[in-house]
This record gives sequence, C-alpha cells and structure tokens, in this order.
Amino acid sequence: MNLSDRQKWAMPAALGLLFSGMMGSLMVGDLAMSPAMLWAGLMRTDELATTVLWNIRLPRTVVAMEIGAALAASGVVMQAFFRNHLASPGLLGVSAGGAAGAVIAIGSGWAAWSYFTVPVVAIVGAVGATLAVVVLAKQGASTERLLLAGIALNALLGAVTSYVLSNFTLSYERNAQILFWLLGGLEDRTWEHVGMASPIVVAALFLWPLGRSMDLLSLGQSEAQSLGVDVKSVRRRMLIWATVMTALATAVAGMVGFVGLVVPHIFRLLFGPEHRRLVPVSLIGGAAFVLFCDVIARSAGNIRLGIITALVGGPFFLWMLRRES
Amino acid sequence: MTGVPFQTISFRVISCFFVGLLSTLQAEPLRVVSQTVGTDEMLLAVADPEQVIALSHIARERNFSAVAKRAEGFPVIDRGDAETILKFRPDVVLVANYSRGELVSQLARAGVELMVFDQYTTMEDAFANLRRLAQRLGAGAEPRAEAVIADVKNRLRDLRARLEGVTPVKVVAPSTYGVTSGAGTTFQDMCDHAAADNLATTLGGLEGHAQMPREQMLTWPVEKVVLSGYEVEAAITPFLTLIPFRFMDAVKNRRVALVEPYMFGSVTHYRIDGYERLARQLHPEVFSDD
Repeated sequence: MNLSDRQKWAMPAALGLLFSGMMGSLMVGDLAMSPAMLWAGLMRTDELATTVLWNIRLPRTVVAMEIGAALAASGVVMQAFFRNHLASPGLLGVSAGGAAGAVIAIGSGWAAWSYFTVPVVAIVGAVGATLAVVVLAKQGASTERLLLAGIALNALLGAVTSYVLSNFTLSYERNAQILFWLLGGLEDRTWEHVGMASPIVVAALFLWPLGRSMDLLSLGQSEAQSLGVDVKSVRRRMLIWATVMTALATAVAGMVGFVGLVVPHIFRLLFGPEHRRLVPVSLIGGAAFVLFCDVIARSAGNIRLGIITALVGGPFFLWMLRRES
Repeated sequence: MTGVPFQTISFRVISCFFVGLLSTLQAEPLRVVSQTVGTDEMLLAVADPEQVIALSHIARERNFSAVAKRAEGFPVIDRGDAETILKFRPDVVLVANYSRGELVSQLARAGVELMVFDQYTTMEDAFANLRRLAQRLGAGAEPRAEAVIADVKNRLRDLRARLEGVTPVKVVAPSTYGVTSGAGTTFQDMCDHAAADNLATTLGGLEGHAQMPREQMLTWPVEKVVLSGYEVEAAITPFLTLIPFRFMDAVKNRRVALVEPYMFGSVTHYRIDGYERLARQLHPEVFSDD
C-alpha cells in the first residue's frame, strides 16, 4: 500500500484503534466480568457491575483518552515548534513543573484539603514553568534558547521534587503517594478527574485548525512568513495549547512519559508528515495508545502506566536517535 | 600432685576478685547508639539509662515509635550518616539488616562494634532480640529483659483467653497509595492475635504489601476497615472520596477500627500494644469488664 492509499485510511485506522482500546479498557480489570455482567453494568441492573463499570472503569477509560490525546498532540506541536523530531512535552519543563507542583501539594499536606488541590497546584506549576522558560529565553525566544532554558528548568524543578521527597521521609504515606504520582498512573480516576481534564477537548479543537500553519512553519520561519503565516501568533498559540494540554494531563495522571514522542512518530512514519492530518490522527491515536498501555498495565498486575509507556517509548527513542544520527 | 601453696591460691583468688570488683566499679558504662526505631524500643526497655547515648532520628516521632515520650530524654541521631553516629563515640551501635549497607560498613570500618538484628517477624523473634541485647548490655539488663518478656507473655495469655471462641471480624487495611497489607506483614500478625480475618490474605491471596485488587475488593464482605490514626473522622476522610473505598459499606458507614500508627509497623515486643488495641476495637464485648 503506497502513502496516499495509507493516508486515506489514517483516520479510520486511528478510530478503529481507539474503539478497540476502549473496549479493552472496559473489559479488563481485576474483577472478572462476563459479557452478561458487563451488559448488566451498562444497563445499571446489577449494583456491583454498575459501580465497577460506571465508577471505576469508565472514568479511567475517559481520562486515559484525554491524557493520551493531550500528550500526543502536545508532542506534535512541540516537534513542529522546535522543528526537531526529538522534541516532546517534557522538554520545556512543563511536565516537570506540573510534577513539582503536585509533589509540593502532597508533601506539604495541602492535598488533604480537597480533591482538586493536587491537580490545581500541578497546573499552576506547569504554567509557571512555561512562563519561566519564555521569560528566561525572551530575547527573541529562539528555538535554541527555549531548548536550553527548558533543560535548565527541568534540572531546577527536578531538584525541587527531590528536595520535597527527601524532606518528607518521615511521612511514609505522603512519600508513597508522591512516588506513585511521579510514576504516572490512572488508578482511582473518577468523573471529577474527567471533568478536570475536559479543557483538553477544547484545546484540541483550537489546535486542530493550526495544522496547515504548522506545515508551513516546518519550512522555516521566514518561508512561512512569506507564505502569509503570522509566525509569532501561531507560535504563541502552539506554545499555549501544548502547555495547557500537558499541564492538564500531568495534573490528572502524573508523569506519563514518551507518549508525545512515540505517537507522532508512529503516525508520521505511517501516514506522512503533514500536520493537517498528523494533528487529528495523533489526538485520536494518542488516546488509543494510552488506552492500550493502560490495559497492558492492568493485565500485568497493575504496573504503573508511566512504566509501560517508558518501556515502549525508551527503546523507540533510542531507535530514533540511531536513525537520526 | 605438685601443689601450689593454699595461701598463694587464696591470694590469687582474692586479688582477682578485687581487681574484678575494681574494674567493675571503675568501668565506664557501655556507650550504645541505636540506629533504628525498633532497636530504640528494645534499648530503652532493657538498658541502664546511662548506657543509652543516642537514639534513632525517629525515636521521638509518635507515629513510628512506641517510646516517643521516653525518647525525649535522650539525644537522637539527627542525620543518617556515619559521622553523625561516630560523634557520640559509641562502643556498640544497634542496626537492623535493612539499615543502609554503606552506613553499616563505614561504622564497621571505624572499629565500632555492631549488633545487627535481622529476625523480627514474630513475637518470639522480639523476645530473642531482647535477650540478645540484654546479654550484651550486661548483668543488670538481663532481669529487665526477662521481666518485659514475662509481662508480654501474661498480656498475650490474657488476650488469648478473652478472645477464645469469638468470631473473627472481617477486615482490610486500606491505604491512600494503592497497596494493602497481606500475609507476612506486621498487620497480618496483628490480625492473627486480635481475632481478625484479614480479607486481603484470605480472599485476595495477597502477600506482603501488595497492590490492591480495587474491583475485587468491592465483592469482599468487609465488616470493618482498620485505619491508622488518632481520630476516626480524620483517619477516614481520605477514603470517603477514594476508589474503591468510597463504594464500600464499611467506609460509607464509618465502621472503623482505629490503631495508633506505630502499632502498624512495630517489630518489637511492643507489637502486643497493637494486638490489644485491635482486639479491643473489634471485640469490645470481651473487654467490657475493664
């Protein structure tokens, strides 16, 4: 099958994967449920099945889709922004900012105030990190400066996280929560988390039409400018939406790595590099990828999601590095 | 028999006796530093106070230590490195087999005598550890150790007698970070002595501190949740919103057995406190005469 034939199948294939992932996510769990029990749960005729399906598996499935879409789309945007295929949402320190915020919230005990404290503080941390990078690199905000600022900020925020962890060794419960959160995961996600991450859908809708501008931007800034793209405005919007999406994803699921790197690359290899197609396909494919990783994590005895995505993404990243060199 | 004159023997015996007495009178007390909370508890139970030179960094934390109050009267190791311990010029340092390897080897290289405790699964282990420590500390410590052991044995006997014939209460020990205690844990030991059926072990088949089967747990007939804390409302609040506990009747109806945090992890003879506390919470009817 040649590229243009494959491109026709891009969206149906992504949707098919998403549907399979959703089915897998709803059917797999530590409570074995027969099809009849699943149906009873869906129809709300059996109390246990209803609780498991509607209050445990379904919110988990929806949050997986939200964060998968967010991280994959952020990856596409970052790679277009930096014109570097190895760029990912973690690069600017956005994820590290979110992590530092959440870790501070848990370590200081604020997490006990409300259900929403950790996600809200994580979002504040992620947005703060992005603003810091932009301010640090403000003179022209060239790609190189942003990248270097991102690396520096990642190190700085990593130190904050480590400090909090080392300072709360006496609180085993809090430290365990921090570690579990840092490893990323979808356990115990609720409809509140679904609601919290729902702005991702809005951000995705804003990102969708930027595909054409991103294609032109990949030719180079001056080329894009000469072809009528308001480069400054497009770059600003790209940065904002990618930050919002990564921040929200980190806020509700912790540090889930490599999704933003792996998913865009897979779809770029399969369906070509045009962002008009890559953005929507990555949104849907990213959701499917995280769903499948989560199903693997659950089937393998509740391994943390971040471990599975890293196990898939790590070798892929090394392969990419070899290929690039 | 070519004998030594009686007077010579007498002189030698008498002089040995006096030298021994003198050296006993003049000897500095053994300087002991404890590096873990378990060894803190043992040390304070059997040592002369002047032998206790420093206790572990969490000795005064009531969440971890059964002797938090008493520990306030002693210095504590404020950092975890060898130098911090060596500054107390200890003769003996008490460590556990989970103490950091590099710290233990640094202390050994500094020529300090180390007592490593590596068996602490059962109450019998706790007794053996007390006796071993007492033997090293000297003559005065041994009767103290035996008295402690006798007291704990009495309490165990009394507890067993009270709980005879009661139906075990079905419990789980939730945590906010996704794991629960199964077989081979201090919590299981506490359940075994307090007439409690730990469903994580009997229905879940879990061993050690294992990931909770969140969905399966909803099918377990949990009668009470065992929580660590000092006040029911504060202890249960995190679980009222947390999956799967928020859907459990025992949580929704606040059927809670509250145990002090240190009791959950006690590896010394103080585990008896946990047995008694849990038994009282689960079977108040057999303690009504108190």
